[in-house]
Amino acid sequence: MHKQNKYTVSHAPFWHDGDTISAMNINVILSALPAALFGVLTFGLPALGVLTLAVSTAMLWELAFNLISRRTITVGDFDAAVIGLFVGMMLPATTPWWVVLTGTFFAVVIGKQIYGGIGANPFNPAVIGIAVLLVAWKGFFDFDAALLNYELEFTALAPLGALKHQGVAAVGLFPLKDLAMGSQVGAIGTTFGLGIILGGFYLILRGFIRWEITLSYVGGILLTALVFNIVNPDSYAPPMFHLFTGYTLFAAFFLATENSSSPVNLIPMVIYGIMGGVMTILIRNIGYYADGTVFAILLINLINPLIDRIRPKALGKVVKNA
Amino acid sequence: MTKRSFIGLIGPRLLCDRIESDPREPESTPIPQRLILLIHEPLDSTRETLIKKGDLVKQGEQIILYKESTEYAIAPDSGTITHIASYSGDFGTVETYLVLERDGKSNKANNFSKVAETPELATADRFLRRLPGAPPFAQLLDPELKIDTLVIEGTDSDLSSTTRQYLLTTARPEIERGIALLKQITEIKNIAITIPLELRESLLFNGVRTLLIPPEYPKALPKIVMNELLGIVPTPGCSCEEQGVLFMGVEAVISMARAYALKDPVYDKVVTVIGKDGSQHRIRAFIGTPIHRIFKQFNIVCNEGDRIIIGGPMKGIAAYSLYHPIQPDTDTVIVQDRSEIPYVSDYPCINCGKCVRICPANVPVNLLVRYLEANLYQEAADNFDLNSCIECGMCSYVCTSRIPLFQYIRLGKHELIELETEETHA
Repeated sequence: MHKQNKYTVSHAPFWHDGDTISAMNINVILSALPAALFGVLTFGLPALGVLTLAVSTAMLWELAFNLISRRTITVGDFDAAVIGLFVGMMLPATTPWWVVLTGTFFAVVIGKQIYGGIGANPFNPAVIGIAVLLVAWKGFFDFDAALLNYELEFTALAPLGALKHQGVAAVGLFPLKDLAMGSQVGAIGTTFGLGIILGGFYLILRGFIRWEITLSYVGGILLTALVFNIVNPDSYAPPMFHLFTGYTLFAAFFLATENSSSPVNLIPMVIYGIMGGVMTILIRNIGYYADGTVFAILLINLINPLIDRIRPKALGKVVKNA
Repeated sequence: MTKRSFIGLIGPRLLCDRIESDPREPESTPIPQRLILLIHEPLDSTRETLIKKGDLVKQGEQIILYKESTEYAIAPDSGTITHIASYSGDFGTVETYLVLERDGKSNKANNFSKVAETPELATADRFLRRLPGAPPFAQLLDPELKIDTLVIEGTDSDLSSTTRQYLLTTARPEIERGIALLKQITEIKNIAITIPLELRESLLFNGVRTLLIPPEYPKALPKIVMNELLGIVPTPGCSCEEQGVLFMGVEAVISMARAYALKDPVYDKVVTVIGKDGSQHRIRAFIGTPIHRIFKQFNIVCNEGDRIIIGGPMKGIAAYSLYHPIQPDTDTVIVQDRSEIPYVSDYPCINCGKCVRICPANVPVNLLVRYLEANLYQEAADNFDLNSCIECGMCSYVCTSRIPLFQYIRLGKHELIELETEETHA
């Protein structure tokens, strides 16, 4: 018998559709870029500084944690980059460096790595980071104060802040077209509604995010806001205003759809999305915070494992889970 | 290899290869000097086997290892047994590997011709179980199974293969004779045949129910056919046979008809061979032909690290030796270049939900895999529908994390069966 080659012996299937985690994350980053770049154009170099610092520190935190915990280096999957980018996009352009650093620490290390890394996080890591900052240093999220020194060509008031303080009269200050085109005061990457929608549609089309979540989240926002608006139009803003202000669209396309912390079955996805929309509007209209999106996302992340138990019966099963 | 489409929203569509409208004849492979036979029974080193090294065998002779053995091989030609050894297969199964050196005389055993006049199931099982296509006579004879429906598979259940479709479209008289024979020996009235949906106008067989199979994978898999076309919901943990439905490839029907017509078993198997460049060859090879002979014929070079797939790309097994033989159920042989082999990883599940969307059996694969990774097989079966899996492999195919999901599932099922046997023996 002549010399035998060694062949690759592995299990079926022998084909793969070619998808990888890094390709998925690069696509997420690409689709978030229009909104992020628009923020840089509007708010200038400080915005670019915040974004790059957020991405780089997020990746460095991940690397540091990988090294300390002696686990595989996972920076290459770009998951930390996505988290960093999202944290950066939700911050105002004038955020000091140490706040960014703290935010990405909480996002990557506390939000993701301590649970075991990618896929194991019960909450959206970027939202954890922002939530910690929002509770600890609320002042930095006062967008009016943060952007005080800017000369802006549009109403230099954060729409949701104005709504909170001045009531529904403030809605008239913000034409819907301006809001959608990004002519509003807000965080770096969350003001350009059209850009977020475009990026989000790209992700949906490519199958990287689950459209059911986005659709039901937007549905939840519109419906709840509409109910409030119909019951008392003098106290509550119309639905479209809510849709295009604050973190709403960013949450619908990029935050609520985070893989690990959202459901995968149809009915749970719809409940999850609608609940997110309802909670966002409830916090905005009744709660203390001007923009409740961050906490709404954390709340629906919390109910995700519970509702994702609602699933279709497997083939041949008559009694559920029996 | 089919890649993800740019628009991933609609999900992957894996289309089965379809037979050409004017099917080309299979190229014949010369019968090699040494034939390799596999018996699905391990060697027992403490006992002497009935067949020994140096024994002469006749063409068509049954080769059995021990007196009480139920498994056997059929010598495709006369000659001498020169080698008997153990051969490891999937999941620790051990088979026996025999090398038959042909003497070129083709002395016939004539055992079958004596009983071929009066076809009956018991004799068919004794002489024809290892015919090309591997007719499932043993299951038909099993008193515990109570088979009441027989489905003849004229469609290839895995991707890339056109073996069955070729035979379906070119051997119509034999198929009809075979069906008549089957009706006679089994007395099963409910016989169906699966044919490609596109051929519904031109291909109709008398006296059997026609099941039309769309070209998408996994529509031709037995459990899907059973569920969608026969209206029998597969019971988790049961095989199709245990539910009274027996699937047999169309080649088995044809070989049976030919064997009874010739009063002699037949040994040539149609195989689809796919080279590294994707070139497809249809061949007719003797059972027992080692695959390296076929590769040589078509100038397929296997280098270190390449993968040799016996069976289709979704459900096949990888061979570790070029001396792996063509067996009665080998429909496809594929060689994959090492650069084409997709990597698998130990990344955790990221919960992207692609597997849940694609699963034809509604198995919560994202949750299931977490239990399987932790070796919690019983919990996986009790709460996460491990046994509902119909083993199509689609979850592994789409997995973004590249987890070997299908392997985990098969391992889980295997381990569960082991556990159960241990319990019953304890």
